[in-house]
Amino acid sequence: MSIGAPRLPWMSASLLALLCFAANAVQAAEAPDGQALVRTYCSGCHLEHDGVFERISSIRKTPEGWTMTLFRMHNVHGLALPEEASDAITRYLADTQGLAPSETAPSRFALERRPNAKDLDLGPDLAQMCGRCHSLARVALQRRDADDWLKHMHFHVGQFPSLEYQASGRDRPWWDIATKELPPKLGALFPLHTQAWSDWNGRTHREPTGHWVVVGHEPGGRDLVGTADIASDGKGGYTARYRLRDTAGRDVAGDSHALLYTGYEWRGRGALGGVASREVFALSEDGVRMSGRWFDPEHSEDGGDWTAVRADAPAQVVAVLPRAMKAGASGTVTIVATGVGPASSVSLGTGVTAKVVLADDGVIQAVAEVAADATTGTRTVSVGPAAGTGAFAVYRKIDQVDVQPSYAIARVGGGKVPPVTAQFEALASARDAAGVLVPLGPVPAEWSTAPFDAEAARTHDEKFGGSLDAAGRYHPAGAGPNPVREFSGNNTANLKVHARVADGASRLDGESHLIVTVQRWITTPIY
Amino acid sequence: MHMTKLRALAFALSAVAGLAVAATVRAGDLLVTGAKPDRLYVIDAEKRAVKSEFRIPGANGIVGAIIPSPDGKVAYVVVNKMESISGIDLKTGKEVFRADLSKPGERVKNFFALDVTSDGKELIVYELPTLLKPSEYQVEDPRFAVFKTNAGLHAKVSRSFPAPRRLHMILMRPGGKTFYAIGFDLYEYETATGKLVGTHGIQKWQLPAHSQPDLLAFWPVTEPTGVFTSPVISEATAGGAAALKTGMMVLDVRAGTLEFNDFEDTSALIFSTVLSPDRKFAYGVYSTLTKVDMASHTLAKRVPVDHTFYSINVATDGHEVYIAGAMCDVGFYDPTSLERRANLKLPGCGDQSLASLRVIPAR
Ligand code: HEC
Ligand code: HEC
Repeated sequence: MSIGAPRLPWMSASLLALLCFAANAVQAAEAPDGQALVRTYCSGCHLEHDGVFERISSIRKTPEGWTMTLFRMHNVHGLALPEEASDAITRYLADTQGLAPSETAPSRFALERRPNAKDLDLGPDLAQMCGRCHSLARVALQRRDADDWLKHMHFHVGQFPSLEYQASGRDRPWWDIATKELPPKLGALFPLHTQAWSDWNGRTHREPTGHWVVVGHEPGGRDLVGTADIASDGKGGYTARYRLRDTAGRDVAGDSHALLYTGYEWRGRGALGGVASREVFALSEDGVRMSGRWFDPEHSEDGGDWTAVRADAPAQVVAVLPRAMKAGASGTVTIVATGVGPASSVSLGTGVTAKVVLADDGVIQAVAEVAADATTGTRTVSVGPAAGTGAFAVYRKIDQVDVQPSYAIARVGGGKVPPVTAQFEALASARDAAGVLVPLGPVPAEWSTAPFDAEAARTHDEKFGGSLDAAGRYHPAGAGPNPVREFSGNNTANLKVHARVADGASRLDGESHLIVTVQRWITTPIY
Repeated sequence: MHMTKLRALAFALSAVAGLAVAATVRAGDLLVTGAKPDRLYVIDAEKRAVKSEFRIPGANGIVGAIIPSPDGKVAYVVVNKMESISGIDLKTGKEVFRADLSKPGERVKNFFALDVTSDGKELIVYELPTLLKPSEYQVEDPRFAVFKTNAGLHAKVSRSFPAPRRLHMILMRPGGKTFYAIGFDLYEYETATGKLVGTHGIQKWQLPAHSQPDLLAFWPVTEPTGVFTSPVISEATAGGAAALKTGMMVLDVRAGTLEFNDFEDTSALIFSTVLSPDRKFAYGVYSTLTKVDMASHTLAKRVPVDHTFYSINVATDGHEVYIAGAMCDVGFYDPTSLERRANLKLPGCGDQSLASLRVIPAR
């Protein structure tokens, strides 16, 4: 049999082959035994003491966290790990030493690779000590006690000795802080043993197989509604078939093959409307809801928000599209709901009349008319036995436009590294009678840029940085020294992004800040 | 007046050495620089031409700090990802000294802090060691390691003593009894014993109404004056409003004096500086070539250069300023007008990156 033998000086390849053979013989037809694989591939360096492996057994990580570590074991420490073994070990470790749903909840933006997400706020010391190189979510998505956090600080400085010399490293006794103050602090914030994990790890979790209703939204782009059918692939994974439609009525089919790690971490690869996609979803603790983000594997900034609810879940309104209508307006409204029969009646709340025109598998279409004197406010929407508040609103006029994200980064592209675009979205809101802002959802806008400050104007950043398209997506220019720029500068830019929204005869403006910066050479599963 | 004295002295010295140099002939400096992947260049500064191109064995990455021996015959070069010091004979290109700092189970990085004693017999090398244990790294305390320069190609540490973290420069004091180490602060150590004999504030330096200064220098240039200079950035908080100021750190390695003076509201980044032989000006480089008046502490002149340069030096007699580092250009500039007189492209056009640019005066 042929295995990629780890490069262990004190363990011959044939001995390893023997060990591996023994492990496989025991497992015979079953899925590979994770612990045996860890013993085979890892215990040469990570000594085993009664089933406990040095370092490995003292840490809990997400699937992405384990993947990054295994990549380093290969890349830095020379471990030759065949893909199947690597996948099986990742799975075994994420299942047995993972994070509970409540532990990943605040950091999911990093797993979902949300562009321009706001990082965790863990206080100024961690922001400065750790947040300058990677997200604090990367830190918060690991659990270990103070002694292993200390070892990890040794790894950082041992592996990246320039760390103490870089800006924000050299201005403080970085090593002293990292080895004295931080390990106990990190060990208290993110310890190995938690109630959340022992509760979660001790439970059996509901399989994701079944029929689901789905809502998706691409910022600046389509809304998708429809259904998903998830089945077991017979090998411990799942296949999903999507039957979706966009708001313009076009069919968008898709499929995916996924693994479920730690009982709730759905990681799929597939295609949506013919475009390759990755899925990072989390199953709710009760297993009836799945939410997260899908994205283009090559451009993780391109993607959308995904919510799926089991069709047999208690009756509920999952989403209403559009999210708001203006007083006096009429049009088609799409409602996604569970527990609704084919001939359900629909109500969109006071001041709105609605008539079902189509009810198909959780997706209900109605023709709605909003009274000219309807007041601004959210409405309770009900379809048959399902009801929900907050998904739909009526407004008299738009009072505010916010551009999301309020601060964004785009990256110039060229050579092997493609550009990273930035997508903006104009979100409208209106004040109700009590003066409270009612969100109305994304609205079309006229997009433009302006220099952020006098320096940006002087260096013509608008001209060099790139261009903003009609859908609010900024396309950065090419990378590398630009001979026509001052000092042959790169096409970096510091810009204001303006959205102008028309509401009847009035115009409302929103603004955001865009930095166009240089390429990032390394993209990691957790930024 | 001062200048003429120096010239006269230089003339007298060369005459003593039996080198009859006509008074009009320039200093005849040699420049030394390095480039990826393994190149060391000796440049005839007057001819503006590469005199020799050598290969440094096992350079393995970038060519870093370059320390010429006091007699100018050997250059000690930090190579192999900061894990080795290679001594290259500048006439023959032969490797005559090699210290591989790492050994199995222990990785040692140098960070460009090293110098040679005034008698040329010992190298003091800053070492940042990490134990590579089977399943963990263990960062050890830094140390100064002393090597005999005649130890050949498998030089072993002859003695070592503890050092602070985060050092980036070692500068031998005249006579070699003590040396300076620059890091959080300026430290002075006894070469023989490693005893700390003095600490001067840098990080802990506080000019009245200034923030903690930022200083990071990887360019160990003290020629031609024996004075090390470096740009320093700090925030002046006078009058309530904070403003970034660029100043000069002036460490007279011979006299043992340390001074800081702001010369401008920070308006350009400067990587490294050099002091003119008459000590009247400092020249600094990055994306501009900057000239600082050292008496009035003011910006004397600034011109853009065509890309970023990291390292700078000046002719022994001050008649030309040289810029190098990053990419493969060596620029020759007029010290008064800051106009470019010539540009030399290194053969093969390797990236000089963090290589030092050193001037070896004619003897
Ligand atoms: C050739 C030796 C070697 C092998 C084989 C090896 N490791 Fe490691 N591992 C190391 C070293 C050295 C470190 C400490 C430095 C570091 O963190 O990279 C380490 C660190 C770790 C850590 C701690 C990293 C952290 O997050 O701080 C984990 C977890 C780990 N290894 C898992 C594994 C697993 C799982 C395997 C087997 C698939 C494995 N290693 C195989 C050498 C090895
Ligand atoms: C100089 C930049 C830098 C700083 C500062 C830094 N890190 Fe990291 N960190 C890295 C890099 C690079 C990696 C990826 C290492 C790899 O796997 O190759 C990493 C990885 C990690 C990981 C994931 C390791 C794994 O194997 O899954 C954790 C956790 C982490 N860092 C914690 C911290 C903490 C805590 C701090 C602050 C005390 C910190 N980092 C500061 C650069 C930095």
